[in-house]
Amino acid sequence: MEGVKLTIALIIAILLQWTLRNVWEPLAFIDFPLIIIVYAAIQRNSIRALLFGTISGVAVDALSGGLMGSSGFSKTLVAYAVSEIARRVYLDNLILRIPVIAGACFVSELVYYGVHRLFGQTTTSDPVITIAYSVIATTIAGTFVYLGLQSMSTDRARLRKRKEVFAPRRQTRRRNPIRLGK
Amino acid sequence: MVERSQKEVWRLAPWLMIALLLGNFVLMAFDAKVEGGEYVIRSWTQTAADFVQSPVTTVTSSVSGYFSSIANLRSAQDENGELKQKVQELEVELKQKEGLDEENARLRKFLDLKEQSKYKVLTSRVIGRDPSAWFDSAIVNRGSLDGVKLNMPVVTDGGLVGRVTALSPLTSQVDLITRDKSGIGAVVGQIGESNALGVVAGTSKKELLEMKYVSGSVDVQVGQAVFTTGQDGIFPSGLKIGEIVNLVSGSATTPHIIETQPAARLGTMQEVGILLYEPPEKPEFEQKLPNATKSTKK
Repeated sequence: MEGVKLTIALIIAILLQWTLRNVWEPLAFIDFPLIIIVYAAIQRNSIRALLFGTISGVAVDALSGGLMGSSGFSKTLVAYAVSEIARRVYLDNLILRIPVIAGACFVSELVYYGVHRLFGQTTTSDPVITIAYSVIATTIAGTFVYLGLQSMSTDRARLRKRKEVFAPRRQTRRRNPIRLGK
Repeated sequence: MVERSQKEVWRLAPWLMIALLLGNFVLMAFDAKVEGGEYVIRSWTQTAADFVQSPVTTVTSSVSGYFSSIANLRSAQDENGELKQKVQELEVELKQKEGLDEENARLRKFLDLKEQSKYKVLTSRVIGRDPSAWFDSAIVNRGSLDGVKLNMPVVTDGGLVGRVTALSPLTSQVDLITRDKSGIGAVVGQIGESNALGVVAGTSKKELLEMKYVSGSVDVQVGQAVFTTGQDGIFPSGLKIGEIVNLVSGSATTPHIIETQPAARLGTMQEVGILLYEPPEKPEFEQKLPNATKSTKK
């Protein structure tokens, strides 16, 4: 179920990435697919995160003026790095996830720019400004998305847990100890 | 779906990562080597994206159009008065022009000049912008089914916008002239009247172009218009590229440093025209040149 939910979230993220720049130019700085990739990697499912990275990267590259596969390359690398960190460090706290999404975005943008330079391609935008804006915008958007995803998953998980723990127990009515003393 | 243990996942992940990275690397290497080619992945993805981008663009443009029309109502009355006056002026001008046209037709007939063939313009709507913040391409709602081909020039009423770099049956990707990779044969002023020939290329600054290789001994001034020469084999001659906004004069041995602002409003354009123009075939000796192989491939 978690896999289906994340796949739907990734499809929505790709669609948003395709369309939102035409609605308002600054929205291009938010990397929606990366937010979902990092979330998948934090769930300690590295295979899912890696596949998400490549698929969403290629989907974005196909509509971009950049090199085909460059975004897929950077996102796959970031997905692996984050899943390795999540394996060693407990990242279930939202406060800890904020620097992770910021760092992931920074590395992803840096790698993206680096591979273009490696293949002799020049970008239209200034690298420092683009990286800075992308990190800020993606971190802010990522925090809200994680809050939403977390509330969706924790509500159901809490309910399930409560059912599992309390259902078999029979709850008896407590008697008033004062009355008993009488 | 096969359930894997956490240990298996951790063992498999590095190998999967290496395989995916290699796959992406091969894609990049291929893309960098063969520029301007048609890719199945691009074509299919663009076709799929069209079904999302077109409705979103229609909705957003109608919403923004509604709000802007409300805002425009305020100035409509003043504008109406101005327009009425302008219509009267134009009517007088039109009558003068009709006379000139008749005279022109008579003279053409007299000189036996053949009518110059003009290229068709295919109007199209910008349905998407580059999803990456690093580049500035646009996606328009006309594709190979409408007769669009690779490298066809794209214009607005203001001036040159760019060229078609990727195609799908329903959409085309347009690389803007502000991109560093684009090089346009250009001249300051009209062809035949000016000697200031050079190449216009994009810069890392948005909405700014650089004109290179203009001899420092030629007189050039800020505010002059820059037009295409048609010598690049992509764009026809006479299209307006922009106007000079900054100039550092060169000398007899050093070229001018010229910065140009594009005539077309690239950031806000909503409708563009694709010129169904195919450049004339290159002569045989030019096609045999070692560096000519890349550009002649289609």
